[in-house]
Formats: sequence, C-alpha cells, structure tokens
Amino acid sequence: MVTVIQDDMFTADVIADPYTYYGRLRDEDPIHWNKSYELWAVTRYDDLVWLTRHHEMFSSAVFKNDPRPAYPDIDESDLGLYEYVKNYQADQFIQHDRPEHLEMRRVMHSYFTPKQMEAWRPFVQAAVKELLDAAEEKGEMDVMRDLATPLPVLVIAQMMGVPASERSHVRQLAEKLLYIGRGDYDRMKPLTEGMRGMIDYVGPLVDRRIVDPGDDFISVLASGEKRGIFTRHEVLVNTSLLLLAGHETTINLICNGTNAFLRHPDQFALLRKDPGGLAKSATEECLRYDSPVKSIQRIASQDVEVRGKMMRKDDRIRWFISSANRDPDAFPDPERFDITRHPNQHVAFGSGTHHCLGATLARVEGQEVFKALAERFPNLRTQANDGDLEYQPSITFRSLKSLPVTLH
Amino acid sequence: MARKLRVWVDQQACVGNAMCESIAPLSFRLNDKRQSEAIDPAGDSEEKILEAAENCPVSAIFVEDAETGERLFP
Repeated sequence: MVTVIQDDMFTADVIADPYTYYGRLRDEDPIHWNKSYELWAVTRYDDLVWLTRHHEMFSSAVFKNDPRPAYPDIDESDLGLYEYVKNYQADQFIQHDRPEHLEMRRVMHSYFTPKQMEAWRPFVQAAVKELLDAAEEKGEMDVMRDLATPLPVLVIAQMMGVPASERSHVRQLAEKLLYIGRGDYDRMKPLTEGMRGMIDYVGPLVDRRIVDPGDDFISVLASGEKRGIFTRHEVLVNTSLLLLAGHETTINLICNGTNAFLRHPDQFALLRKDPGGLAKSATEECLRYDSPVKSIQRIASQDVEVRGKMMRKDDRIRWFISSANRDPDAFPDPERFDITRHPNQHVAFGSGTHHCLGATLARVEGQEVFKALAERFPNLRTQANDGDLEYQPSITFRSLKSLPVTLH
Repeated sequence: MARKLRVWVDQQACVGNAMCESIAPLSFRLNDKRQSEAIDPAGDSEEKILEAAENCPVSAIFVEDAETGERLFP
C-alpha cells in the first residue's frame, strides 16, 4: 500500500526517530517538495554533496534572500520580532556567499586550523578528567548535564576569554538561541531574547579586545573590524554565533555518541580493547550514525533541475544530513553502528565552502570523551529504557534532553 | 632558485572547501567533482602552498621536497 508522505517534520515520531521518516523520503522521493513549509527536502548523500559544492547555485544567505514568511507559522503579532531575527541572522558569516563569505571566513580560519586545534587537546583532556572525576564520586551522571554540556562550553569560553563565572549565563542565552530550529508558534520571543542578550553580553568584551587585543578568538574577530572586513554588528553577531556553534553541536556529538555506545555494548567493548587506537574512527562513526546536526537550509540562486524536479530561483531547500549519512548507496550496511568503519566519508560537517569551521575542535573533544569513558568506565550503563529518551523538538539539531547513566 | 616540491591532495579526505584554491590559485584547482587537485607545485610560492596546506580544514594536502623526499606538511 502506498501512503502519502506527511509533511510535518515536528511530529513526536519524526523528532524521536528522524531516520525512518527521512530515510523514507530518501528512498521514495529524494527531491521532495514539502508543501507545508514550501521547501525542497534533499535527502540523498550524493545530492547533498553535489548541492553543497555548488554554492553559486544555492545561496547560504537564507535570511536575506528568502522572500517567504517564517516556517512553521508564527504568531502574527511577532512579525516585528521575526524582522529582528532576519537582520541578526543575516550578519552571520555563514549566511553569506562568495566573495564576502570567503573574506569573512579567512579572518577566522587561521585560528581554527587542524594544527591550532590540536594544540587544545591537553586542555580538553584535563577538562574531561575533571568532569569525570566529579561524576565518578557520585557513581552516576546525566551525560547531557554533567559532561556533554559543560565540556564544550568550557572550551569555547576559554577560547573566547569568557570568565568561568559567566559561562552559565552564556549557556542560558545559547539555549534561547536554539529556538531558531524549533517549531513552537511563540518561539520568536525567547529567540530574540537570546539574540539581544548575546549582543548585550559580548559588546563590552569586544570593546575591550578592540583596544587591547589578546590571543583569544574575540580579538581575531575584532581585528576583522579594524581591517574593514566586519562591521561592529557583524563582530557582535559572529562572536555570538561562534559561542553557540562552538558548543551546541559538540554537545550533541558527545551525548548522541555516548548513547550509541550504550545501545551497542559490543562496540563499547571493542573500543575498550584499544581506546587510544580506535577513538578517531569511533568518533567519525558517532558523527555519521547519529549526527549532531540534522539539516541545513539554502535558497536557490537560479532555476535548477535536479532529478527531474524543477527548483525555481528563490525556492527554499533543506538538505538532510540525517538521511545522507545513512544512505545505502554511500555506506554499506548504513543502519549498523560500526566504530571500525572505513572509509567513512560522512557529511556531518557538511561539505564545500561552508564545511564546518570547528570540525577539528569537535573531533578532538569527541575523541577525548569516548577514549576516557572507555578507559575509566567499563561498566557504563544506561538508566533509561528504550523509548524513554526525549529529544528537543528541533529540525536543525539532534539533541537529547538528558541521558542518565550509572558508572560502576 | 626555489626548491622543487611534490604536492598532492588526498581525494578521500577533500571536502571541496576550496580554501587552498583561494590561497594558492596557481597550484590548486577544483575539478569537476569540486574537489581540489594539485595542478602545479611550482605555480605559487612554497610559502603560499604551505599556507594552503595548513589551512585545509581536513588536512588533505601533503607537501614534500621533491628531491630529498623530506615531508614539509603535515
């Protein structure tokens, strides 16, 4: 029996298990027109790679170039707030196309090279140890609250020169910014509170770095203003963006990856045999198997035909990492969690000119966490039953609300 | 005279970020799959080629001294 594919991507079923829904789209209608949100859902691996590498056809300036109203619908009285959101988002460097994107990215790029990020490994190791020491004493932890969240917040805060006492404030603002990927009818209020709060918070930090630059990342951004590449608003927005992007995605890598090990004890046993040797390929498989980011948006810059479907200029396009990373044409036995998988050319960090700037940092953090868990806690067990785990209702992030475990 | 280099791009790793092409456009070019290829190790200066290699977000670029075989990056 053929059933019509429903278009609501925020139902409890789709949020709990995106793989069945997006996998069905990939198998039955890989370039799918979603009528409800008026967008093309692109779900195959090879299409995603092709699309992300043809940035001249598919614009990343989504908020600037999208002529349509917010989706899903928002309260009509919040239209003014939506304008604020659009203007805020439009100043993020990731919301630009070439040549501006290249110029902006190059300001930050040298800070995030693989070599530079590798130098942070000892700091990450020490932070993981400290967090796990605290958990070990209690014998249990919520992986989300006690490990996955504090670690990346600590690292990015250190890079930005944010004092320890202000990290929880930054995290609270970040949680409001996550409403960007949600479907709540009244999401504009918390979202704009987060945006305004971030601008207010980072303003004085940037002021200080303009006058007195250091070797932190905000100073790198501030140097972009001095050189005329960024406006002040762009410095503030991009500082906020990096504070958010620098930890939110890694939170999900750590939590989803740990969850994958809990559900596949054979793979955790395998990692325990050689934590140092397998941490790298294990992290790649965690990134593929339950990717931190589910989907990203583009806007068509021109009419373009893909697999017989005609995308028109200004059409919305959303490409789904969740389905591409489980595409059987790209990965043998894609539903299997296999930490020795090779090759593993997943697209968890996207591809092309907008490939994730912080990929190496995320990898370092993931590797150190999975290695330490395997070395220290052979009896790691979940406290949650299948089906008990709850995910944030986001179209963008694959994000658990909590993941309670016992350690001994 | 500048020393001769051997430069190559690991196609398994390259994600088509194109940072190399923007830094050293005479030495790197994207092919029709939008992946980078080392087209001319003498096109740009050694300094530019090493900068391109260092700025590759996935460490896909390798540079050697063509005569001695000494690895210059990574």
